[in-house]
Amino acid sequence: MKFLPQSFGAKLLALFMSAVGLTQFATWAFIREFNGTQARELINDELDRTTRNFARVTADRNTLLAAAAATAARDYAVKSLFAGDDDATLATALKSIRISSTADLVAALALDGKVRAATLPGPVPDAAFADLVRRAHASPDASAKGYGLFGGELHALVLAPVHAPDIIAWMVVGFRIDDAFARRLKEQTGIDLTFFDPAGRPLATTLAPAVARDLTALLPSLHEAASSEEAVLAGTTALVRIRPLAAGGARSGTLALQYSLDEKLVPAEIAQSRQLLVAVGGMIAAIFLSLAFARGVTRPIVELVGHTRRITRGDYSIRNRSYRTDELGRLSEAFDQMSLGLAERDRVRDLLDKNVSPEVAAQLLRDGATLGGEEREVTILFADLRGFTTLSENLPPRELLTLLNRYLDRMSAEIEAHGGVIDKFIGDAIMALFGAPVPQGDAARRAVAAALAMERALAKLNTELAAEGRPPLAIGVGVNTARVVAGNIGSQRRLNYSVIGDGVNVASRLQSLTRTAEYRTNVIVSAATLRAAQPTFNTRPLGTVAVKGRAEPVEIFAIDA
Amino acid sequence: MNSNPLPAARRRLLPSFLFLCLLGHLGGAALLPASVVRVEIKDGKGQPVADAVASLVPLDRAPVIDVPAEPAVIVQDNEEFSPTVTVVVVGGKVVIPNRDKVQHHVYSLSPAKRFDIPLYKGEMKDPVVFDRPGIVALGCNIHDWMAAYVVVLATPHFAKSEAAGTAQIANLPPGRYRLEVWHQRITAPVVREVNVSSDPATQVIAVTLRELRQIRRAPETGGGAYR
Ligand SMILES: [Cu+2]
Repeated sequence: MKFLPQSFGAKLLALFMSAVGLTQFATWAFIREFNGTQARELINDELDRTTRNFARVTADRNTLLAAAAATAARDYAVKSLFAGDDDATLATALKSIRISSTADLVAALALDGKVRAATLPGPVPDAAFADLVRRAHASPDASAKGYGLFGGELHALVLAPVHAPDIIAWMVVGFRIDDAFARRLKEQTGIDLTFFDPAGRPLATTLAPAVARDLTALLPSLHEAASSEEAVLAGTTALVRIRPLAAGGARSGTLALQYSLDEKLVPAEIAQSRQLLVAVGGMIAAIFLSLAFARGVTRPIVELVGHTRRITRGDYSIRNRSYRTDELGRLSEAFDQMSLGLAERDRVRDLLDKNVSPEVAAQLLRDGATLGGEEREVTILFADLRGFTTLSENLPPRELLTLLNRYLDRMSAEIEAHGGVIDKFIGDAIMALFGAPVPQGDAARRAVAAALAMERALAKLNTELAAEGRPPLAIGVGVNTARVVAGNIGSQRRLNYSVIGDGVNVASRLQSLTRTAEYRTNVIVSAATLRAAQPTFNTRPLGTVAVKGRAEPVEIFAIDA
Repeated sequence: MNSNPLPAARRRLLPSFLFLCLLGHLGGAALLPASVVRVEIKDGKGQPVADAVASLVPLDRAPVIDVPAEPAVIVQDNEEFSPTVTVVVVGGKVVIPNRDKVQHHVYSLSPAKRFDIPLYKGEMKDPVVFDRPGIVALGCNIHDWMAAYVVVLATPHFAKSEAAGTAQIANLPPGRYRLEVWHQRITAPVVREVNVSSDPATQVIAVTLRELRQIRRAPETGGGAYR
């Protein structure tokens, strides 16, 4: 019995939990996906910005260096050195230019690209600047930018012409791309940078050695066409972008930009864990809500179940005190009305029991109160209180009724004790049936025995009355057995189970014959009854009598105690 | 010479022109029959090229170079050289007077003639003598945009193209010549052999020019424009 509310609660709980859980999980998954995409987009934007920033910073610096170098080359003496063939002096002039222009590298080239002097320790091959010279010749402003590797160090280079006033020579200026330069770029965008030589060896980086090592190992597997690629470097996931270092010319190395995806996702992770917390809180709230709701629903139901049990036992006193306005409130109300209805029916049944014999009442309840009938053999007993008229004159009505009821009660008890059914009371007279509505094989014998028992009961009552100082009562009983019509007799609104037919009149007539003094008996039965009863009684034939409305006379017998 | 497609007006002028030449050059080949080569210089798009220098170096004989007594003049006016292109024969003299109120420092770092005349105004003391053939680029150490060329030739037969892109070289003795065209923006000099007696007198030369790769004069940004 206990499992019902638990089961309902469990179902409700499961429903709530799955609804809340699914919603929260879907939201969580969606936001996670969204955050991941968003973080990648943000990082790619920042990588774009850094790529542009690197190009701009390099170009700006190159332009400034070129301008500084051009200013230095304006000097007539410097021009003369460029125009002459004194390479040793030219080399020293380049030192001055390097200092004044804050460049890291200055070189002087003949118009055909031959390297004449440079501020580098060793000799520099012509090929180092050949690409720059070729591009400068082709460009309208006779200059070119690029990168170069000198002594294992990467340099951003710019080639500028020396005018006199035509171009008579070239000057290369450059700055070193080292860890410090990379760090300055990182300060501007927060993106890590690593510069590799064409062989994939790192030249400058902002990364910790372990991360740089992993990146170097990974470099050959990365693609320059990709906007960025995911890579695990020293345990953290980062988005890495690689681009060739070329500045329009031949490839001089690789630039790798990267940003830690894990780092970018930290705020999102915090938000996600908070959301998870909220989800768990929501689930707990859902548990309590569903349990409370289940209890709210099941308690009245359990109460109703209890009430149903009590009603089954016949206790209609319970009223559901429900102030609910929902379906359960209406159920309670309906239940109360049903309870009231049942109580009413029970009261009616009680009254029925008192007014009709239990057998009739039962039959009525079983078959319903219908008009109809059947012909059957029934033994009819009529009993009449003799001298009642005299009695009623001498007694006050209340006492009279009490006495009459006392008499009827005793007589009824004897009839019912013998299986008879009180058909009706007609004033002080009793009409009883044996073998109807329930058929009885020995109905006639029972009726006769009941008549004799009534005599004895009356004698006992008379003893009591005598003790009370009241005069004794006398009765006459007539018993007849005949085929009669039995059924519910009356109107649609009011019905009585009864029997009709000639046999009933005969029984009534036999009863009235007991007044005949010469018969000296209180009980007269018909030959039909006697035949049916088997002669176990003291019978005394009284001859035949005519009965009004009957062609044949009736043979009657006295039954003596 | 008779198949010469010169315009009628020029043909009428030709005898008197030749007469004047004979007066000027009585020695050498003066008595030989002379003719004219007209060089039409066009760029890659077919547009006429002005200020190009066409010269004819005789291949059958040594050229007879007569150095003019008067120097050529390149003035400095409004912080520019004028004219931009001057042609002289080897040994030719050039004066570069300053007509501006400001000083100039004219120089050349070209192998054919290296010289510089530090800050000066007005006339030069001595003309510059160009004694080696070649292209000499003149600049000013103060004004980077100032540029002029002196084309020093080892032949008396040359002409500078006009706005119409035509350079006419007259008074040519018959024979084979090396025709050479130079321009300050030319990517490479154009050389062609021409037989004045048999080849057409009009030579059409297509040249490839590049961008002017000199320092440009920036527009004035304020006062201080002395002249
Ligand atoms: Cu000047």
